[in-house]
Amino acid sequence: MDELKRTSSHYERELQDIKQNLLYSGVLTEKAIENVLASLLDRKSDVARRVIEGDAEIDKLDTEIEEQCIRLLALRQPIARDLRFITTAIKINGHLERIGDMAVNIAEKVLQLNEVPQLKPYIDLPRMAEIAREMIRGSLDAFVREECELANRIRRMDSAIDDLNEQIFRELLTFMLEDTRTVHRALLIMQVSKNLERIADHAKGIADMVVYMVTGINVRHQWPGDTPDDICSVKRDKSQ
Amino acid sequence: MRGKLFYKIFGTYLAIAVLAIGIVGFLAGSQIRAKLEKQIELELMSYAGLVDLYPLKEIQSRVEEIARIARARVTVIDREGKVIAETDKEVATLGSHLERPEIQEARVRGKGSATRYSRTMKEEMIYVALPIQKGPELVGYIRLARTLGEVKKTIEEFTAILLQSFLIILVSSAAVAFLFSRRLTTPIRDMEHFTERLRRGEIPGTLMIRSSDEIGLLAENINYMVDELQKRIAALQEEKAKVEAAFSSALDGILILDHQGRIETVNRGMWAMIGERYRDIVGKTPLEAFRSLGLQKALDQYRSGGMPVSQEIELGEGEPVMLDVSITPVRGVDAAEGKTMLVFHDVTRLKKLERMRVDFVANVTHEIKTPLTAILGFVETLQEGAIEDRETAKKFLSTIARHAGRLNRLVEDLLTISNIELGEMRFCFESVALSGVAQSVLHMIQMKAREKKIELTSAIPEDLPLISADRDRLSQILINVLDNAVKFTPEGGTVTLSAAQAAGNEVVVKIADTGIGVPRDEIPRLGERFYRVDKTRSRELGGTGLGLSIVKHLMTAHKGRIEIESLLGRGTTVSLYFLAA
Repeated sequence: MDELKRTSSHYERELQDIKQNLLYSGVLTEKAIENVLASLLDRKSDVARRVIEGDAEIDKLDTEIEEQCIRLLALRQPIARDLRFITTAIKINGHLERIGDMAVNIAEKVLQLNEVPQLKPYIDLPRMAEIAREMIRGSLDAFVREECELANRIRRMDSAIDDLNEQIFRELLTFMLEDTRTVHRALLIMQVSKNLERIADHAKGIADMVVYMVTGINVRHQWPGDTPDDICSVKRDKSQ
Repeated sequence: MRGKLFYKIFGTYLAIAVLAIGIVGFLAGSQIRAKLEKQIELELMSYAGLVDLYPLKEIQSRVEEIARIARARVTVIDREGKVIAETDKEVATLGSHLERPEIQEARVRGKGSATRYSRTMKEEMIYVALPIQKGPELVGYIRLARTLGEVKKTIEEFTAILLQSFLIILVSSAAVAFLFSRRLTTPIRDMEHFTERLRRGEIPGTLMIRSSDEIGLLAENINYMVDELQKRIAALQEEKAKVEAAFSSALDGILILDHQGRIETVNRGMWAMIGERYRDIVGKTPLEAFRSLGLQKALDQYRSGGMPVSQEIELGEGEPVMLDVSITPVRGVDAAEGKTMLVFHDVTRLKKLERMRVDFVANVTHEIKTPLTAILGFVETLQEGAIEDRETAKKFLSTIARHAGRLNRLVEDLLTISNIELGEMRFCFESVALSGVAQSVLHMIQMKAREKKIELTSAIPEDLPLISADRDRLSQILINVLDNAVKFTPEGGTVTLSAAQAAGNEVVVKIADTGIGVPRDEIPRLGERFYRVDKTRSRELGGTGLGLSIVKHLMTAHKGRIEIESLLGRGTTVSLYFLAA
C-alpha cells in the first residue's frame, strides 16, 4: 500500500515535471521573441545574436521533455487522461521547439535589417509579437490549468495576427512598387512578419491540443470561427 | 449507576468473604464432626466394656438394659457371627455379622469402630465392637451402634450460624465497596471530565481534589501539567503572533514554497510589490505564477546547489519591477518537508536612481562638451590665421564669448542645484510682498519679451497676502519660469503673470503663456535635470536644461509645490503654490 502510494505520487511528480519543463520552455520562447523584437526596435544586434545562441537551451529542453514523455509512456503505460496528457505534451513540445527556431529565423533577419537604414517605423510588428507572446502564454496557461475555454479563446486570436501580417504585406508592397531600392529591406521585414505569423500558428496549435486534451475533440483542422462556442461544456457533459 | 470500579471492589470483597467462610466452614465442620464422632465412639466403647462384666448367658437379658443406658442399639454375636442378642430386631432375622468391618477390626485389634450407612436402620450409624472373652477364650462380640443424627444436627446448626455471618458480611462488604469505590471513583471521574475538557481545547481551570494519597498527587500533577501547557501555548501564540506580524507587515515580499515547489504563503508586502495582477498565485509554481525566466534560473540554481541564492530579477509585464530575490530553505521544519523561502526586495527605485546618476554624468559631460568643442574649434581657427582677418576674428570671438557664457551659466546652475541638494544653500525666509518682487523680475524679462514682440502682463491683486519666501530665491524662481515662458512662446504671443489666494493658506502664482506647449506624457519629466522636450531647439535658445529643475528644488525648499498644465500648440500654465506668511 505504502509502496503503491509512493510510486503513484512519484508518477504524479513526473507528470508535474513535464508540465513545469514545458512552461519553462514557453518562458524561454517568449523571452526570445521579446528580445528579438527589442533587438529590431533598438537596432541592437548583440541582443539578436544572444537570441540565436539561446536557442540551444530550448533545443536541449525539447530533447529532455521528449525523453521524459517517452520514458513515462514506456514505464507507466498511462491510460485515458494521462495518456492524452502525455501525447499532448509531446506535441506542444514540438510546437515550442519550432517557435524557438522561428525566433532564430527572425533574429537572423534582424541582424541583416540592423545593417541597413530603417525603412519605416515598426508599428505593427511589435503588436504582432505581443499577440504572439500572449498566445503562447495563454495556451500554456490553458494547458497547465487544463482550461478548455481559455484555449478556445487563444485559438481565435490567431486571426488578428493573420490580419496584421496581411496589412504589413500590403504596406510593404507599396514601398516596393514606389522604390525598387527598398525591395531587399521590405522582403526582410516581410519574412519577420511571416515568421511571427507562423509562431502564432504554432501557439494556436498548442491551444488546439489543449482543447483535445480536455475534451477529446480534435479541432486542429477547424477554422477557429467554426468551432462552436460551447465545445468545452458539451463534451464535458458527454464524457461524464 | 455506579461505574465498573464499584463492581470490581464489591466482587473482590465478596470473593474474599466467600472464600474465608468456605474455608472456615469446611475446616471447622470436619473438625467438629471428627471430635463428636470420637466422643461417641469412646462413650460407646465404655458401655461395651460393661458387657464384659456379664456372663454370656446373662448378656441376653442385659442387652435391653445396656441399650437403654447407652442410648444405642446393642448387638451380641457369637464366635461364628451368629446374632445372639439384638435390641431392635428379632435375632433370627439377622444374618452373620462376622464380616462387618468393626467386628473384623475388633477380632484383630481387640476393638473396632466404623461409621457407615446402615441398611437396616436406613441412616448413618457409628458402630463400636469389642470381643467378649471368658478368660483367654473368645466367646463372641458385642457391638453398639448409635445414629449420627446428633452429630448432623450439631453441624447443621453450625452451618446456619456460618450462613448468617455470611449474609452479614455480604451486606457490609457491599456497603464498604460502595463507599470505598465512591471515594475512589469520584476524583478519578472528576479527572476524567477535566482531561476530556482539556482534550476538546477548552480551558478547564483547576482541578479541585483534596486528598493526600496518590490520587491527590495525580490531581496535583495534572494541575501542574495544565498550567505548564497553558503557559507554553501562550508563549507559542505570542511567538506566532510576532512572527505573523513581522511576516505580514514586512515591506519585503515573502513567498514560501512547499516541498513540491508550489507557492504556499504570500505576505502583504509581496502583493504590494507585484500588484493585483498576481492575485491567485497560491498553489501555483513560481513558473506558472510569474513566468519569470530570471526567477526560475535563480530557483534552479538554488535547487541544484542547495545553497541560499541571492539574485536580481525582473518581474511583471509592461513596467517590470526590479527585485532582489534571496532564496533560502525554511529552517526548523522537518527536513523532508523541504520548504523554501523567497524574500523579494524591491530595487526598482534604486536601479532608477543608479541609472539617473549615470545619465546625469553623461548629460553633464555632454552639455559641457558642446560649448567647449565650439570654443576650441573657433580658437583653433583663429590660431590658424583667422585672427588676421579682423572682421572674422571679431565674429569668432563673440561666438566664443557666447559659448563661454553658456558654459558659465551651466556651471552656475549646477552649483545652485548641488547646493540645494547638499542643503548648503542658506534661505532667509521673510514675509514678502509678491508685487514688489514681480515688478523687478518683469522689468528684467521685459527686454527679452519686447525683442520677440511678446506681450508681458501681470495681474496681482492689491489685497494679496504676503508670502513666506526668501526674496532672492523667489525672484530666481520667477525669472526661471518667466524666461522659459518667453523662450517657448513664438513671436506675437502673450505671457501673463497672475496671482490669487488659494485654499489652505496658500498663494498661487500662475505664469501662463501661449507657447508651443508640452506633450501630456512629458509633463512629469519636466523637473528632471537636463530633460528637454525638444533637445535641439532648447539648446538653440540658450537653455541649460536645468531651469525647471532648479525651480522645483527651490519650491520644495519653500515648502511649496509646482503644477504644470499644458496643451500642445496652445500654451503652458505653470502654477506655483507658496505658503502665505
